Amino acid sequence: MAEDSLLHGRGLIKRYGGVTALDDVSFHLDAGEILGLVGPNGAGKTTLVDLISGAQAATAGELVLRGGKLSGPASRRARAGLGRTFQYPQLALELTVRDNLLLGRAARRHATIWRMAAGAVLGALRPHPPADREAVEALAGELGLDGLDRLAGDLTLGEQRLVEVGRALGQDPVVMLLDEPFAGSDAQGVLGIAEVIRTVQRRGHAVILVDHNVDLVADLVDRIMLLDRGRVVFDGDPRECLASPQMQVVYFGSPPEAEELDQETGQIGQEAQDVRS
Amino acid sequence: MTGKAAALGREPGLGGLAIGAVLSVLVLVWVGSDGYRQTLVTAAATYALVALGMYVPYLMAGSLSMAYGAYAGIGGYAVGLLSTKTSLPLVLAWLLGPAAAALVAVLLGLVTRRLSGFFLAAVTLLFGMAFTAFLVDAESVSGGSGGLGNLRELNILGWTPSHYQVVVGSVVVVCVIAFLLDRARLSAWGVIVRTMRDAPRAVEASGVRVPVMNLVALALGAAIAAIGGGLFTYSAGSVTPDTFTLNIVFLAIFMPLIGGGGTPWGAVAGAAIAVELTLNFPAIETSGTLVLALGVLVILLIAPRGVIGYADQLRRRGWALSRRGRDG
Repeated sequence: MAEDSLLHGRGLIKRYGGVTALDDVSFHLDAGEILGLVGPNGAGKTTLVDLISGAQAATAGELVLRGGKLSGPASRRARAGLGRTFQYPQLALELTVRDNLLLGRAARRHATIWRMAAGAVLGALRPHPPADREAVEALAGELGLDGLDRLAGDLTLGEQRLVEVGRALGQDPVVMLLDEPFAGSDAQGVLGIAEVIRTVQRRGHAVILVDHNVDLVADLVDRIMLLDRGRVVFDGDPRECLASPQMQVVYFGSPPEAEELDQETGQIGQEAQDVRS
Repeated sequence: MTGKAAALGREPGLGGLAIGAVLSVLVLVWVGSDGYRQTLVTAAATYALVALGMYVPYLMAGSLSMAYGAYAGIGGYAVGLLSTKTSLPLVLAWLLGPAAAALVAVLLGLVTRRLSGFFLAAVTLLFGMAFTAFLVDAESVSGGSGGLGNLRELNILGWTPSHYQVVVGSVVVVCVIAFLLDRARLSAWGVIVRTMRDAPRAVEASGVRVPVMNLVALALGAAIAAIGGGLFTYSAGSVTPDTFTLNIVFLAIFMPLIGGGGTPWGAVAGAAIAVELTLNFPAIETSGTLVLALGVLVILLIAPRGVIGYADQLRRRGWALSRRGRDG
């Protein structure tokens, strides 16, 4: 593990009573990198994202972001540089797209209780500072979001996910955690969100991308981490992951036959992969 | 609404203020020198301020605290205590009362921070009842069940307002607070508070500590309710433990729903309707609450989004019809 990486976690454990959801997980993320987090249901992907973002507390282990310990509630970690989206979009459905995007940008100005109290007074005196308006519109343009005065509750699931990404980008995070951004999207929506993820990377943000769709993730990410029953079973090149025996065991439940393995690399051969898929 | 207002370059909240100001002037003309009507308007202003106080944590942040009778009471007793036990300028009561109510709201909010929904409502309701019992018992401070009377008159740099001027002042205070709350609702601060109701995880993940923001909303609401309590006490000339009972809280819950429209002005409209139905409706005199209950049912059946929501719907329909007429 690279100690000088942008974000790293060491020995992360999460237990719910007698059930171990994450078992001694360590990982690292470099600046500008997209790390794919894949695995079947119950592998611990969302739990890991929740531990990183502070939505849940780890039973043990430590997280370090830019050399500083990452701890405390989710709000503190967000201010330290984490932005995230959720498996099920968390939007204020009765507010407009514009307002939902504004949340990400406005939150940083309301970090302490005094700033929160002052925010009420300043908001009453000057509800719409032009800088906020312009920033939200620029962000929406970058993401291809139009109809900013529509209510978030009237959007398709794919559009809601885009708004969540936009809201998180408004925080100008160092690391973006995208939890199953493709879930529930049609083919067109998947392409749109994939393009947005590339945009996020172009902006220089590091990304942890969680999804079931391994092929799609492999196309987008620099590195893949495969989780199974709370443990990391593969961490490396996406193409190697797809062809790895670990992948076969995790998704198909049986190790590859000897004749399916490539003699030189020790990984499952393309022909065998085609047959299995 | 937010975006459209911004795009048009209009100052947010001015439309509501204009309508509120015109209606207020009409009400004040109707009141004139009639003592009963003056009492009605003062009661409506008090209800409106309690309802506006509840509006912030309840309708914006989604947290139903029922201690607003106590907060209004703190404002009322601030006026009573400053008037009878000190020689400090009475106007200070409208600073100290709201500050004390905000502090109590923060402490109660800290104690109940893990509660929500029914349990939060039940515990804060109990607090309101305990506060009333405290006022009855703490005779040396509160005057016991007889309360505090013979209050001093306001003296602002030698000027003592008449009863009618106090009524006008109450209406102005309600309009100013409703206007400022409406603008705060539309601001970034309001977006954060309103998102807390539906998506608190998103607010937390964006960098705002939700329990702390909740305390701020509770404190702001308590301070506004205390301003109302102070106005009512001054206008009535006395305050007792029965002045701000749980009744006022139950009424204040319904006021924004009757008024509707999703804005603080709905709470004000709801307060005016509640006072009209409970105290001034030409029916059986002792059945005010029954009339209000029936009135609420009728209003919510005909206009589920409240009176302002219904008026807005009619306005849009009229606008669409007139446009169709022009195009056709």
